[in-house]
Amino acid sequence: MIKIRRLTHVYPGARRQTPRPALLHFNLHVEEGEFCVLSGPNGSGKSTLFHVLCGMLLPSAGSVTIGGYDLFRVPRMVRRITGVVFQSPAVDKYLSVGENMALYAALYGRSSKAVGLAEALEWTDLKNRLHQRVNTLSGGLARQLELAKCLLTRPKVLLLDEPTSGLDPASRRNFLEMLKSIQRKRAMTVLMTTHIFAEAEEAHRVVIMKDGQLLACDTPSHLRSSMGREMVVVVPSNPEALALALKQDMDLNPLRFGDELRLENVGTTESLSLLETILSRYRSQIHSVAIKQAALEDVFIHLTGHSAGIHPPHSDSGPLESGFLGKGNEESGRPVETEQ
Amino acid sequence: MITVHATAALAQREFTRFVRQPQRVIGSIGQPILFWLFLGTGFTGSFRPPGMEGISYIEFFYPGVLLMLLLFASIFSSITVIEDRDQGFLQSVLVAPISRLVIVFGKILGGALIALTQAMLFLLLAPFIGLVLSPAGTALELILLLLTALGFTALGFLCAWSMKSTAGFHAIMMVILMPLWLLSGALFPIQHVPPLLRLVMETNPVTHALVILRLPFYHAAEQLLSDKDFLVSLFIVVIWVMASIWLSVLRIEKREKGISY
Repeated sequence: MIKIRRLTHVYPGARRQTPRPALLHFNLHVEEGEFCVLSGPNGSGKSTLFHVLCGMLLPSAGSVTIGGYDLFRVPRMVRRITGVVFQSPAVDKYLSVGENMALYAALYGRSSKAVGLAEALEWTDLKNRLHQRVNTLSGGLARQLELAKCLLTRPKVLLLDEPTSGLDPASRRNFLEMLKSIQRKRAMTVLMTTHIFAEAEEAHRVVIMKDGQLLACDTPSHLRSSMGREMVVVVPSNPEALALALKQDMDLNPLRFGDELRLENVGTTESLSLLETILSRYRSQIHSVAIKQAALEDVFIHLTGHSAGIHPPHSDSGPLESGFLGKGNEESGRPVETEQ
Repeated sequence: MITVHATAALAQREFTRFVRQPQRVIGSIGQPILFWLFLGTGFTGSFRPPGMEGISYIEFFYPGVLLMLLLFASIFSSITVIEDRDQGFLQSVLVAPISRLVIVFGKILGGALIALTQAMLFLLLAPFIGLVLSPAGTALELILLLLTALGFTALGFLCAWSMKSTAGFHAIMMVILMPLWLLSGALFPIQHVPPLLRLVMETNPVTHALVILRLPFYHAAEQLLSDKDFLVSLFIVVIWVMASIWLSVLRIEKREKGISY
């Protein structure tokens, strides 16, 4: 449904600055009816990719087809089948819920009666708030309105840019449950960017990008299993010294993320004995040690070396193996770059 | 069909937003009226240009205030372009399957209709200074007001589109839009200014907008439709309006493009 081929976008540099590449030969193929989550650290090119897909930015090179239509040749055809939920509110706060819905329907050449306003709001908490002004709605309800107005025209493709940013956990969960339920019911193709990995757990595929390139693209379970079932996480008083000691004494190559050392890809039976050995040898140097199940966030940290306050790994991690290319890089034929 | 529907919806939105902001209604109607009353009353005693002895300044200034009203209404309308972008609304319009002309025209039409409504309210004051319009004259005046409002709003849209902030737009307004009005003959008659200034004023399309707005108060509509001066000014105003709309569409069509790598 969404085919992105060798997409490159380079921003012209401001005065005395060199041009800044935001996307480099980026490939991605999202199947019809698929729920795909796109993630990456700040500055990884997610927003640029999103703006290109919305047709608001013309890339330096590459092609994008959505629903079989070339985005750059027939953008209006693509817009007809695409709904976009932006990170910032894109509704008129001086208008009521109903007026915003009617306006949006009109922009797609439909009357609100024809598209069924009541039906469009059925799944939301806005059913009885048609006449309420948007500036009096809570953040969660405003996001529901954003989604409802996009779904009003029954798009085949839905693009969402961090749609839950600014929402409290309960509203976030509520929003995502609604989104997933509608996506399944309508077999809609969804591409959503997010920083929150809990939101990616139920996606069909997760795409991780960095520096404008695709690092990984696979199902959440494959991504997690590629990290090994468990990892031992050690917080020492001197990470560099302990990393060196582990290398010399035990031939282990821990990854360093900030103050943490991680021993990834450890089997269930070995993790406990490894933890006991480390504790027995280096107890005085260790603040804490834990055995952890690999989560999507760990995959993200491993690949990008980014998390809150975490620096890129110092030791050689080597590329993760299983399925990390997924469909994303099939066409590029280039090796996946991982943080080395 | 989608074009008409979307244009009407965008224009209606402008109007709805306007009436829901009372301070905007008061500001855009009140300011020109205060200008008219204060300047008109103040200059009436000393305004005696040759050949216009029979006209008081408050009467001379009246069409100029109509023009000013349209200018202020268009400025306020144009500021909403920047607000729409800042508040995110513009994004949802830009990703809709409508042509850029619809976006421009919807916005401009909405702004122009707001300006026209204000001008209609101001027209109710005309009989109090002895300016009476016939039914045909009223119809003609309203058409001309709408045309001029379209020109101002399109010009404001063009300026506002490139602006990052409302503060920046205010600066542009003071150096581009206000001088267009000041040099239109609204405040003083064009006949008695130095030659260079007169040349500038005659090339100013807003001067011609003032001419076509002033004449229906003094001549019958039927008579004006065969008057050469009126038709020339009307032609210039139509060109100005069309050029402003066309340039606005060109501006909005322009998307940021990546450079080759």
